[in-house]
Amino acid sequence: MADTTLPANALMPLLDKSFRLAFPFLVALAVGAAILLIIGENPFDVYALMAQESFGSLRRSSATLSAATPLLFTSVATAICFRTGVFNVGVEGAFVLGGISAAFVGFTLPVYFGSAIIPLAFAFAALVGAAWLYIPGLLLARYKVDEVVSTLMLNFVAFGISGYLVNGPLLSRESGNNVTPLVHEIAQLPRLLPPSTLHAGFIVGLLVVAAYALWVKRTPSGFESALVGFSQRFARAVGISIPATIILVMVLSGLVAGLGGGSHALGQLHRFADGFSPGFGFTGMAVALLARNSPLGIIFGSILFGALASSGTTVQLFSDIPLDLVNIIEGTVMIFAVVELGRITLFRRSVRS
Amino acid sequence: MNNSTTSAPGRSGNASIRLGAVDICKNYGPVAANRNVSLGIAPGGIHAIVGENGAGKSTLMRIFQGIEQPDCGHIIIDDTPIRLSGPKQALNLGIGMVHQEFMLAPDLTLLENLVLGNEPEAHSLGVLSTIDWSQAKRAGHALARQTGVRVDWKRHAGGAPVHMQQFVEIMRLLRFGARILILDEPTAVLAPPQVDDLFNLLRNLSANGTTIVFISHKMNEVLALADTVSVLRQGQVTFEAKVCDVDVHTIASHIVGGHSDKTVKPHEPAAIKAHSTGTICNVRNLCVRAKEMSHPLHDVSFSINKGEILGLAGVSGNGQDELVECLVGLRMPHAGTVTLDREDITHATNAQRRRLGLGYVSADRAKEGLAASASVLFNVIAGSHRDRPIKKGLFLNPKVMRTSAIERLTKLAVKYGRLNDVAQSLSGGNQQRLVFARETASEPTLLIVSQPTRGVDLNGIAVIHEFLKTFCDNGGSVLLVSEELDELLSLSNRIIVMADGRIVGETTAGSTDVTEIGQMMVMQGAHNG
Repeated sequence: MADTTLPANALMPLLDKSFRLAFPFLVALAVGAAILLIIGENPFDVYALMAQESFGSLRRSSATLSAATPLLFTSVATAICFRTGVFNVGVEGAFVLGGISAAFVGFTLPVYFGSAIIPLAFAFAALVGAAWLYIPGLLLARYKVDEVVSTLMLNFVAFGISGYLVNGPLLSRESGNNVTPLVHEIAQLPRLLPPSTLHAGFIVGLLVVAAYALWVKRTPSGFESALVGFSQRFARAVGISIPATIILVMVLSGLVAGLGGGSHALGQLHRFADGFSPGFGFTGMAVALLARNSPLGIIFGSILFGALASSGTTVQLFSDIPLDLVNIIEGTVMIFAVVELGRITLFRRSVRS
Repeated sequence: MNNSTTSAPGRSGNASIRLGAVDICKNYGPVAANRNVSLGIAPGGIHAIVGENGAGKSTLMRIFQGIEQPDCGHIIIDDTPIRLSGPKQALNLGIGMVHQEFMLAPDLTLLENLVLGNEPEAHSLGVLSTIDWSQAKRAGHALARQTGVRVDWKRHAGGAPVHMQQFVEIMRLLRFGARILILDEPTAVLAPPQVDDLFNLLRNLSANGTTIVFISHKMNEVLALADTVSVLRQGQVTFEAKVCDVDVHTIASHIVGGHSDKTVKPHEPAAIKAHSTGTICNVRNLCVRAKEMSHPLHDVSFSINKGEILGLAGVSGNGQDELVECLVGLRMPHAGTVTLDREDITHATNAQRRRLGLGYVSADRAKEGLAASASVLFNVIAGSHRDRPIKKGLFLNPKVMRTSAIERLTKLAVKYGRLNDVAQSLSGGNQQRLVFARETASEPTLLIVSQPTRGVDLNGIAVIHEFLKTFCDNGGSVLLVSEELDELLSLSNRIIVMADGRIVGETTAGSTDVTEIGQMMVMQGAHNG
């Protein structure tokens, strides 16, 4: 009956929506431009150079996609929780633990397992990541322990555990310090476009985003978690268990983060090393915020931030622009993405009161 | 402070009216919250303002505080008309408000809270001034003596008993120079002995010249404490009297509007015929212990027959909300049993009860009945998203989701734009119809309906009433909790009355009227023995 769309007005909301989605990024570019002007650079030249360095050639494009790969995982892991109103900032820790778990399986299992090592390594990484975020999930669901605090602190515990392992029991004998042995060659994810580092983990990442989209749109538990994110009181009154939903999304988030760490270890570094993640978990948070948790937005956002990362490195090589510019843009995007995200703020206020 | 123009003349003099209102009107859109409200409260008096929810009490208090500006009319302080710019100016003029939710900082001690915002300074050094705690302590002790309350000032506010927090809040206002205290349902959060303490405190204050205005739902409190009482109904002062000249029943009848001689016919044959075919829900000796911010239930027993509408009447805040929560599985009782269709559901979850045929229309439509910022589609499907055919195999079927959403919405004639519009974009009446559309889609056998027509326009009310009748004619049962007695009388087969957490009476709709129910509603204490 009343569910009709008026074609004349159909374009307006779409434009409006895309502007609102792009808004944080536009502000970030403006802030970046202001800083470039202050240090005496022409922002247009720099941005043009960055665009060139991100997508200018097949080789640069694949470098961008390679940099986007871990972000696909970490942003999905973050979005799973954010859309439920659970402010999980512990994806970084689960990513790191997933990485060391996958690397461990990758160099420990005997070679005759063949390429079966890869799924086994991924499975172990996912298991460890899921178990890791189960802890703050349980604490929140049962004892109302603030998840921001618990997940943030657990990150440091995760860094500590992985740091100990990589400098102790899992330290490589050949390479000296802070790295594990290389995983067997058969356990390494194939490179898609050599000589670039783009590897099959990118495809796994896209599959994860697709699975996330399926979960969001087509599963009862995805539906329930959205309702919990809208209003816990309402969700409870229609028969949804809040504790079960919170624990579920935390575990799913840890699982995806663990897979991400596995992909990075098996595909990119072929081992675990200290400084395994330069903040993929937090960049993933920026992507999830920017994408408003939408699957398509996550792919775009990951590639965008991948482009920033890959161009940032080379731009630094060819000009006086410091790599910090990329961090500034990233930080600004996060701030303005949160400004727009009224839902989570509202939700959190109602929980506290 | 630069408010020489607003400080009232005769501040210390003997005004005849300390706080008053003259012809105050306030409209929110089409809703007239206050219509020509006039009041006059003498210095040192204790004045009760009573009325149903939505009668305009809160609006009037907000105007007294300067939070809202009246559309016409004005307020009077010390016989002088005044226009308040905000709560700060109100406080400067001596009007202090004690809200239902206390404004103390939980992590500070009671003494720190007392002086917060107006700390006595040891030395006047601008930002470097230190707080003179001994002076603060002296002030605290003086106030405690004045009010006759013993306060452990070192205690943290968050850990102090709730009545102690309330007392400190009152003392804080007194220290700011409040001469007029407005209390919004001050006893709603208190246990009975604490209520006595509060009343003693307020009497002490009144004897010392403080003027007190309090909003209440409870008649016995009005009689125990107030000198004068005003009844607000539908935004108007419908009754005003000295408490010594009036009895409970007169006040009650003015609150519920029983002065209108409108006789309402209960709806008959079909439902009353179905009436005798057995019990659907049985509640036995249900008890909920007293907890702060909620009302206890004492030994509540009743049953709901198949095909009937059982009305539950009561002045709000007498345990109806807690009872409803126990019935739908959102609160666990401490003793007693609830059965639904002969199955014991006392400790079942909400989801389990729903599977057994329970539907629930919450009184708090905005927060519990709906997810206001979620889409119409989500709101109307929620709860049945695990039922076939919406769920097929492991997955939801978006097509079926949309078609059954449209089907449900059409059945209740909900007006909406698109399925993806947010629920709060609907009007109040349509929101409530949406709730009914969702809750009845699974064809429940028992519908728990609380305040179904609150904030709903006349047309919407008619649709909802018609729907409830049809629902019962088709064999469903309803527990209808309402503060609208006319509504209860016109819909219910039987009416039970709740007061002070107990069922205090039962009557059949055909043989009673508003006045009789109103009297039962205020019969608190009669069953205490």
